[in-house]
Amino acid sequence: MEELMMESQSDDTPGSGAEPGVADAWETVAAALVSPECSVSDQSLFDSLALLCSHGLGQLLGGWLLETLQMRLSSSVVPEFWCGLKQPENELEERGRAWVLLTAFRTLLDRLEPFLGGLERLGMWQTEGRGDVSGPGPNGLQERAFTVIRALLLFSPSPVLQERVLEFYSRTFSVYMNQEGEAEDGAEAADGPEGGLCPGCGVMTQQCWCQDALQQLQELSQILSKLQLLEWVSSEAVTSILHKLIEQRMEQHCRGEYERSFLLEFQKWLELVLGWLSKVFASKVDTDASDSLVASSSTSIIQANQSGSSILKQWRCHMHQFFCRIYVNMRIEELFSIIRDFPESKAAIDDLKFCLERTNQRQQLLTSLKSAFESRLLHPGVHTSDILTVYISAIKALRELDPSMVILQVACQPIRKYLRTREDTVRQIVAGLTGDAEGCTDLASELSRGDPVTLEMQDSDEDGNDPEDWTPDPTDAVPDKIGSKHRSSDIISLLVSIYGSKDIFIDEYRAVLADRLLHQLNYNTAREIRNVELLKLRFGESHMHYCEVMLKDMADSRRINSNIREEESKLGEEEQPLLSLSAIILSSEFWPPLKEEKLELPPLVCQAMEAYTHRYEKLKAMRTLSWKPHLGSVTLDVELEDRTLTNLTVSPIHAAIILHFQEKNSWTLEELSMKLGAPKELVHRKVALWQQHGVLREEAGGRYYVVETGSSKEKMERGVMLIDSDEERDSNTTTQSEQREEKLQLFWAYIQAMLTNLDSMTLERIHSMLRMFVATGPVVTEMDVNELEAFLQRKVREHQLLVSAGVYRLPKSN
Amino acid sequence: MASQNMDPAATAASSTAALKGSESGGSAARGSVTKRLQQELMTLMMSGDKGISAFPESDNLFKWVGTIDGAQGTVYEGLRYRLSLEFPAGYPYQAPRVKFMTPCFHPNVDDQGFICLDILKDKWSALYDVRSILLSIQSLLGEPNNESPLNTAAAELWDNQEGFKAHLHLTFQK
Repeated sequence: MEELMMESQSDDTPGSGAEPGVADAWETVAAALVSPECSVSDQSLFDSLALLCSHGLGQLLGGWLLETLQMRLSSSVVPEFWCGLKQPENELEERGRAWVLLTAFRTLLDRLEPFLGGLERLGMWQTEGRGDVSGPGPNGLQERAFTVIRALLLFSPSPVLQERVLEFYSRTFSVYMNQEGEAEDGAEAADGPEGGLCPGCGVMTQQCWCQDALQQLQELSQILSKLQLLEWVSSEAVTSILHKLIEQRMEQHCRGEYERSFLLEFQKWLELVLGWLSKVFASKVDTDASDSLVASSSTSIIQANQSGSSILKQWRCHMHQFFCRIYVNMRIEELFSIIRDFPESKAAIDDLKFCLERTNQRQQLLTSLKSAFESRLLHPGVHTSDILTVYISAIKALRELDPSMVILQVACQPIRKYLRTREDTVRQIVAGLTGDAEGCTDLASELSRGDPVTLEMQDSDEDGNDPEDWTPDPTDAVPDKIGSKHRSSDIISLLVSIYGSKDIFIDEYRAVLADRLLHQLNYNTAREIRNVELLKLRFGESHMHYCEVMLKDMADSRRINSNIREEESKLGEEEQPLLSLSAIILSSEFWPPLKEEKLELPPLVCQAMEAYTHRYEKLKAMRTLSWKPHLGSVTLDVELEDRTLTNLTVSPIHAAIILHFQEKNSWTLEELSMKLGAPKELVHRKVALWQQHGVLREEAGGRYYVVETGSSKEKMERGVMLIDSDEERDSNTTTQSEQREEKLQLFWAYIQAMLTNLDSMTLERIHSMLRMFVATGPVVTEMDVNELEAFLQRKVREHQLLVSAGVYRLPKSN
Repeated sequence: MASQNMDPAATAASSTAALKGSESGGSAARGSVTKRLQQELMTLMMSGDKGISAFPESDNLFKWVGTIDGAQGTVYEGLRYRLSLEFPAGYPYQAPRVKFMTPCFHPNVDDQGFICLDILKDKWSALYDVRSILLSIQSLLGEPNNESPLNTAAAELWDNQEGFKAHLHLTFQK
């Protein structure tokens, strides 16, 4: 198109030969177009115009004007602008730089104003019907003009422009925010006066140029919008300012602060920022409305208004998006800590939930959280109870964050997997459930919560939910057979399902219960009854049957005991038993296997036990007692020559040891070990208690003597030592791994026997034989095929077994 | 429970039913035998005796295979004998039927593998169990009763331990 214009120009304009009047008219009109203040009267101007139009030259006016504009721009205006912008280099203060920026744009406007005026005029003539002067319509012409300006001006913008604009906007932003009641930021405001700096413009208060800055901002915005350069020049700067500032503010206010919700606060702040934005962008409206340079119709004002507010709306959306994204980014980084602090950090979770719904960052969150778990939690340095605590917090926090539980399920998969490898997981969970674990009361309170969820491992077909309520899983859900309706958020169910079987927990609880009952040795079971009842609600009546029997044993023992006591009291003086003995009578079938330890008690105690057994047999026909001499506790007084130790509570072996010293003053370790039927190491360990009490001392040759007289000072010291030495609280029941080892040992005996007699067998055959012939009980539970295969393979590796073509046999030497 | 009146040793299928411990009606007796045998198996497994072993042959708990290693210091040292044990429905009030499956050259064992041992005959008591039977047979190998031999050739050769051992190892076949 330009070339066409050039041609027509060269043909017609200087070609004055045709009609001199036409050339004059062209001169007049052209002069009027490029210099609005020219003195030509309207009348002569219109005449000239009419003349030109009559010669069909009117159409060329628009093209000519654009061409002139372009020439002027590239030859002088644009270089002048850039030059003006760069000129002072770095010598100036910020304020000066702002001034230069504004001046550059002012000059630009000055230079271009005549053309803009000319364009207006052309447009006016067109609408007034004075002839077709601009080709395809006035707006088209103006549009083209602005495009030309933008293209030439910003074709190769120097970075200096962006820098200056950014700096200027940042400054006006802080000035504006400072004025618009950043007062809430007490800290920042306080900083200002101290250094004598204006919080807005950052210079000495005497030289404050806040007001100037705002005026400059307004002017700049007006200029830019007049030249329709606003979006081109400012958008990038504004975007990066907003981004930076939101980020900055969030770092200052939100990082590490999980107990407060920041949504509203930021909402307010963003509204403030919007005020500044309106100064940057909506000034066009003001200009149009106030500037009556051109008689705009009222509709165009409304349009401008609308476009202004639509720009603002757009920016508001942008800001929210920025905010959400930045917030989510930050919180994702901190999610582990948030989860750790959960009940306190609920506000942060709620905020995060709100923002996460607006951004597409679930995947990022999952990945980050998973790796945070792995690096911060799932390594050998973390105690199992801590892992459990975090897991419980994670359950609570993530079910708030994502009610579909998908995040919970996916992110916590590594935790569950890892917990499975920890040996004490079950014990810790059970301890938590019974309220024994220190610092972990969540589980106990969860257990006693109302409306418990019954643990149902088999999935039930009945679906109580209304099908209308169904919502599809989020796309990041793990496709599994469990399906969304079984994705539980119940803490206890989740914990118990780590192992996929609740039996293992019930067994563990049974061991814990047995331990506790056997340690406290009184018949007080109120707390245990409560726990068992609560567990019954969770695990079902039938599973807790054994535990119920155990508790019943305690109650029965108490009754039997008082019965026997009563009988004893009826006896004559000389028949009274020498020591008072209370027994807890266990139904061995229902209790977990107790640790076997050999211990022969002194005759005195044995007699008492026998007497007790007799009375019991009388009370319960056809039954008898088999004593566990090593379990229990003894309360005794030790009378020495010069002192008496009263009310010592010790274990039976301790008591047996000291009792032997009653008949003989000195014993060697070997003698004691013989007498007690216990290994020497054990006796040695147990004697230590009496040494610490200062009752016994060891002399050369491994003989122990009674210390009949001792200084009281020594006793004092020993009393202190005693406290930590008697802490050893061995569990009375066999541990899980011991039980497992026992079970494997038993299975191995069976396997050896069957292979000895039946030569060779396949895995399936061995498995079915074991299933058939091993009597399963509370200790020996069935072994599944995979477990068995792994076990057999271990034996093969240990060369205790041969395998070929899937058939197992024993090695020949065996 | 169609199998309850049948010979327990003959039907393999019924024993599994019995194993499930169904205590109803006529199978109660069988149930208790099963339980006893299962208990004996457990005892045997847990005892860990060297040189004796036994295990149910298939899923029939009433028919076992036993293994005896010749005791150290006897001519039978290093030889391994396989036996079959069949438990009657009246067990443990009736003795089990025990015989050698590996041919055994011994004064008290005939060429069919039948054993002449008092506790398996008139001296049987319900207090004996598989373990004691196997231990008895193991000791019988080293200390035969030459008064009432089933295999007279063996009884005559017994006094010549060297010759007996040579003949024994020569004729031993698994």
